Amino acid sequence: MKEELLTDALLREFLLGKVDEEERERIEGLFLTDSQARERILGAEQDLIEDYLENSLTEEDKDLFFERFGQTSAQQRQLQINQSLKDWALREAASTHTVSAKVSTLSRLRDLFRLRPAFVIPIVVTAMIVIAVVAVWLSSRREQQDRYQAIEQELVRLNTPSSLREFPPNMSSLDLSPVTVRSVEQESEIKKTAETQLIELRLPWTKREHYSAYRAEVRLVGGDELFTIPNVQAEDDGVYRIRMRLPAYSLRRGHYRVRLTGITPDGGAGLTEEYTFAVNE
Amino acid sequence: MARDSAIPPESFDEILAWLNPDRDVAAQMYVQLRHDLAKLFMWGRCTDPEGMTDETFDRVAKKVHEVRQSYQGDPRLYFRAVANNLIKENFKKIKTQVSLDDVDLPAQQTIETAEETADIEECLQSCLRKLDSEKRKLILAYYAKEKQAKIDHRHELAQRFGISVETLRVRVFRIRASIEECIESCLKRKAPRK
Repeated sequence: MKEELLTDALLREFLLGKVDEEERERIEGLFLTDSQARERILGAEQDLIEDYLENSLTEEDKDLFFERFGQTSAQQRQLQINQSLKDWALREAASTHTVSAKVSTLSRLRDLFRLRPAFVIPIVVTAMIVIAVVAVWLSSRREQQDRYQAIEQELVRLNTPSSLREFPPNMSSLDLSPVTVRSVEQESEIKKTAETQLIELRLPWTKREHYSAYRAEVRLVGGDELFTIPNVQAEDDGVYRIRMRLPAYSLRRGHYRVRLTGITPDGGAGLTEEYTFAVNE
Repeated sequence: MARDSAIPPESFDEILAWLNPDRDVAAQMYVQLRHDLAKLFMWGRCTDPEGMTDETFDRVAKKVHEVRQSYQGDPRLYFRAVANNLIKENFKKIKTQVSLDDVDLPAQQTIETAEETADIEECLQSCLRKLDSEKRKLILAYYAKEKQAKIDHRHELAQRFGISVETLRVRVFRIRASIEECIESCLKRKAPRK
């Protein structure tokens, strides 16, 4: 009765409450008395949580999962932590993808040196030039990533409910309307001055369905920058709307598109609304 | 909700001695056992795993003196048996309450607020900054893909480190557990300010 008999498939069945009493007793016994088995079971639990968050479970398994892992506030917090961790990794991976592609190309060049020694000198010279160019490029890319990361952290800080309750000076506000198929209104425009430090966007939510939290994405049209605020909440002071703050330095001259997506209680994506605005300096 | 356990000191000492003759080892086993039992209660669909863990220790404490003399095998399995009985009792109680009072499911009472979610996000960022760079890179690489791509990617990652996928998973699990612990402490520090 050792942990080798614990396959991933069996552990998944166990975690979803699909095994018989005898098997459950065996696995629980191993969980309590065998540290390697404990880590395997907790690893399988982690995989199951990931699959749930990626919406990869069947409807039946999803229900069984939620009964066991989504009932209490502590469990929901665990799910939220996992979701936030995954979101962070996916965001970071997306922003470093281009860098990895360049590094792979360099590895292929290295293999070429080994295969054709007669061409080593010219290839080495060329490679050194390429490496120098890539190094400069990587350094500027790193700076860009640091800036991007700093802005994302600033966005989270600026948009907590407690920060939104404060009204700092040097903040400009802009009321936007959702983009609809029949939109004919002129695009709202904000003029950034040297004094402007913060920009508050007021986004009315017109869908009938309301959510306890929303994910906001701000994208420069025609650019590759995308900022995400994972959780903003709506207010209802006569108008049901979401207030969202951006540091002025994060916005360049150009047209921006904002997408709000409702977050369902199970962490999934709900309805969306889009808004546009322009920045002038 | 967890409550204070009221185990008499002599019973507590006896539990420790039963777990292991070395008191330091026994103390570590005790802490681990509490944690593990809470997991069993969670998997058993109990809404108060901490409270039920306390109750398990209370029940064992009452019998430890006599059970210890005759029980054969790992004492942690005895705790499991007691915990299992509690899970069954809990089920019966819930069924009765549902049929008599038609109570709502707890899930409807415990939806996370957006404010808590924002706090989690802030704490996550702060805990990731504290993580050393190698661990941060590993976590980032491990969670960088989703669905099918994730499986292939993790195989590649394990090969790159020269370890099995299983070992990789355990390694990531330990880092993630430390991040979660850091986030929980961060959230606790934030809580009194509200």
